[in-house]
Amino acid sequence: MIEVSGLEKRYGGKAVLKDITFSVARGEVFGVVGHSGAGKSTLLRCFNALEDYQAGSLKVMGREVKDLDRAGRKQLRRDMGMIFQTFNLMGSKNVFDNVAFPLEIWGIAREKRRERVMELLELVGLADKYKERVQSLSGGQKQRVGIARALALSPKILLCDEATSALDPKTTIAILDLLEAVRRELNLTIILVTHQMEVVKRACNRMLLLDKGLTQGIGKTDSLFLAPTPDLKKLIEDEFTLIPTGVNIRLWFPREISRNAVITGMARALDIDFSIVGGKLERYLDDVRGFLIINVDDRHLERVLNYLQEQKLFWEVMDDEI
Amino acid sequence: MKSDSGTQKLFLGLFFCGLALATFVLCLYLFSLSPKEAFQAIADSFARIREELFLSLWQTLCMVFLSTLFSAVIGFGLASVMIITGPQGLAPRPAVYAALDAVVDVLRSLPFIILIIFIMPLTRLVMGTAIGTLPTVLPLTVAAAPFAARIIEANFLEVDRGVVEAARSFGAGIGQIIFRVLLPEALPAIILNIAVLAIALLGYSAMAGAVGGGGLGDLAYRLGYNRFQNDVSVWCILVLVILVRCIQSAGNLLYRRLR
Repeated sequence: MIEVSGLEKRYGGKAVLKDITFSVARGEVFGVVGHSGAGKSTLLRCFNALEDYQAGSLKVMGREVKDLDRAGRKQLRRDMGMIFQTFNLMGSKNVFDNVAFPLEIWGIAREKRRERVMELLELVGLADKYKERVQSLSGGQKQRVGIARALALSPKILLCDEATSALDPKTTIAILDLLEAVRRELNLTIILVTHQMEVVKRACNRMLLLDKGLTQGIGKTDSLFLAPTPDLKKLIEDEFTLIPTGVNIRLWFPREISRNAVITGMARALDIDFSIVGGKLERYLDDVRGFLIINVDDRHLERVLNYLQEQKLFWEVMDDEI
Repeated sequence: MKSDSGTQKLFLGLFFCGLALATFVLCLYLFSLSPKEAFQAIADSFARIREELFLSLWQTLCMVFLSTLFSAVIGFGLASVMIITGPQGLAPRPAVYAALDAVVDVLRSLPFIILIIFIMPLTRLVMGTAIGTLPTVLPLTVAAAPFAARIIEANFLEVDRGVVEAARSFGAGIGQIIFRVLLPEALPAIILNIAVLAIALLGYSAMAGAVGGGGLGDLAYRLGYNRFQNDVSVWCILVLVILVRCIQSAGNLLYRRLR
């Protein structure tokens, strides 16, 4: 669907995106993650030609974005819907007219427009509010209008720019569920830019980690989070105060073994004591995954590691600095 | 903005207090005797000046309405070009923007009375003559259009850039963004500013007497000041106060309707 290779974007002399390479397959939910100012929103805007790029290649459905003329860009934008952190709805129009606006721009006939808008509002669950002014809606409802508007022209790709960052956690989950539902129903590909780790974990199959315009990691969401790179650790604030004596071991719980009682099993089998320093179990796309940090006495270390090896667990001996 | 019915009543009250006060002042001017005689004097004075007063009102209305209309339209055009070519614009053209920016500011820095005289040859060329009510509309428009351009540009800049970006993201072109995004989004604020502009033009139009434009300002100056007919001045002031109130109220009403 989207192929990016060696993409570079400069503002004046300053490079904001450097050598970005990845591809997104049809039907995927692809996350772009990073701190604010990492260049993720800029990257997203390159996809639908709201921003240009200076080097490298960016192909959307086989078309090199840079080479498109005005009509080509317009068509490209028709194939890509976009939703925003601040919703960006028109305050002077009501819900119906906001959703109808892209259709108006494209000169769709009034009757067809009406039909399509009501269909979309039905889809996002706002059909009863079509006459309301957008100012009177809650954040979650505004984003639903935004989604309906973005889907109005039946795009193939949906670009989400921090779409849930202005919403509370509960609404965030509702919006993510809605996105997943429309993705399935309309066979969409979704690119999701966010700095919220919960969002990436919950929604994305694969992700790209950006920092200062550079790729810091790319891959499946769960594997990236379960074995985070130093940058990702910094980003997810995955820091624990470790017990200074003994050895701290981090155990990963990938899907297959997350439900087995490995820890208590180990305690019984080896007949040793250890402390639990910290841990995290989280819901990913479809399953629960996580890790646990335990602290064992130096003299037990070898036995513990042997046991973990035997059980085919993933582990890592942690040093004090993260 | 917050002009609910309470504050509106307050303004109305103040307005009528002003009216009463003006009447009182009028009585003083007429060496007020008994109230009955004073009222008789007021009626006499009105009867004497009525025809001229209404003619002047009509001239003023013509000048203000036409010049507001033209300057708003021209200002909208200039503002659109400036918003497109400006530094944050949809298609930045620094040279075009700088030129417009300079022209607008030069025109705005000329005092109106100087401008009338300065562009008289142009007025004569366009309108056939430089003297009279209708020809005065040209200098009034030339004076107000840059002003209108600036305020409309400012109103356009106030429109959330995100909304413009959203429109671009589903394929809107520059014209569609101007007419279907910027204009409707900024319209309430523009209306309020146009009301301010019309009131400023009402003030400018008083100077139109200098080139035979007529109008209330001219009447007050000619008869009221030069011929010491103070009652004429008071009548003119009264009508002007009512006019200003009407324009402002109409602006507020439209603003509330549109918002």
